[in-house]
Amino acid sequence: MAGALRVDHLEEDRWERSRRVGWLDMDAVRSAHALVIGAGALGNEVVKNLALSGLKEITIVDMDRVARSNLNRCLFFREEDAISSRGKAEVLAERARELDPQLHVRILPNRVQELDGSEFERHHIAFGCLDNIAARLHLNSYAYFHLLPLIDGGTLGTTGKVQVVVPPTTPCLQCAMNRTHLRVLEKRFSCTGSDTSYFEPKLAAEITTTSIIAALQVREGLKLLSRQGDRCLRNLLHYNGLSNQVHELEVALDPDCPVHAGGRA
Amino acid sequence: MTVRVRVRNAETGSTVDMELEGENTVQEIIEGAAGYWEKDAGAYVIRKGKKLLRGQQTVQEANIIMSDDLELIPDPEGG
Repeated sequence: MAGALRVDHLEEDRWERSRRVGWLDMDAVRSAHALVIGAGALGNEVVKNLALSGLKEITIVDMDRVARSNLNRCLFFREEDAISSRGKAEVLAERARELDPQLHVRILPNRVQELDGSEFERHHIAFGCLDNIAARLHLNSYAYFHLLPLIDGGTLGTTGKVQVVVPPTTPCLQCAMNRTHLRVLEKRFSCTGSDTSYFEPKLAAEITTTSIIAALQVREGLKLLSRQGDRCLRNLLHYNGLSNQVHELEVALDPDCPVHAGGRA
Repeated sequence: MTVRVRVRNAETGSTVDMELEGENTVQEIIEGAAGYWEKDAGAYVIRKGKKLLRGQQTVQEANIIMSDDLELIPDPEGG
């Protein structure tokens, strides 16, 4: 009988349980384009969460290749990816499509500094999953200029942070930085002997902190896409997994921050 | 005017007292404390209660007063 209701129809709909989350606007989520910068540990978790949350269009940016030392915290990377030194963005895109065959994933195997400005115009939201301050600052300034909301995550061992930047109203990543950030940034450049030789501290990193920070990033992103921005993090969230402490730290907009002076605000 | 504050190391819980002048900057406090604890090169921030203090602010501008408790926190920059 055509048009008859089947008793199991609720189990046939992939997004039925998501639609039960009252504040979540699944139509908005399904039509959103997300830009994920960095396909390392945070990038793996963020893409997994975005795919399972129903996004259909994701662009992944990363020029790096899978190494065996990534395998303690990167959900989608396998031994064979490390052995064949495959591109991180390529592997992540391939495995994310396995989660949802309807997902369209574009990859840009570039540094964020090489992205065309139009990339910041064609997406609705950006996720910062980077491992260095220079790239963060670049993403921050371009996203702010193009009025692209940015949700940045960072980890260090069992600590992590999340900051939501919504231009032109909120403080940006640079507003929360000081000379110690710039010193590490400068050191990285001053030690550059060639394109592949630079100062790069090997940071402690493990999956439980990464999972928590990436989950917070994506949840804040879903709030923004669902027009629930008033429920978003207003400040910088610091998480300490050893002491089980979460601090929401107030960041003031820096009147001298060049990002705001040069933006469209 | 000199103010005496206590800076806590968020990683270890240890503390150090610092004497500050009104024109000292927050980044000088960060560098002084990080140097005292021989921290690795890296990014650090300081909080006073719920406020993240801006590096360029002076002690006066940041409203740091006698007996304030500050905390030095490593800024997680890995991904």
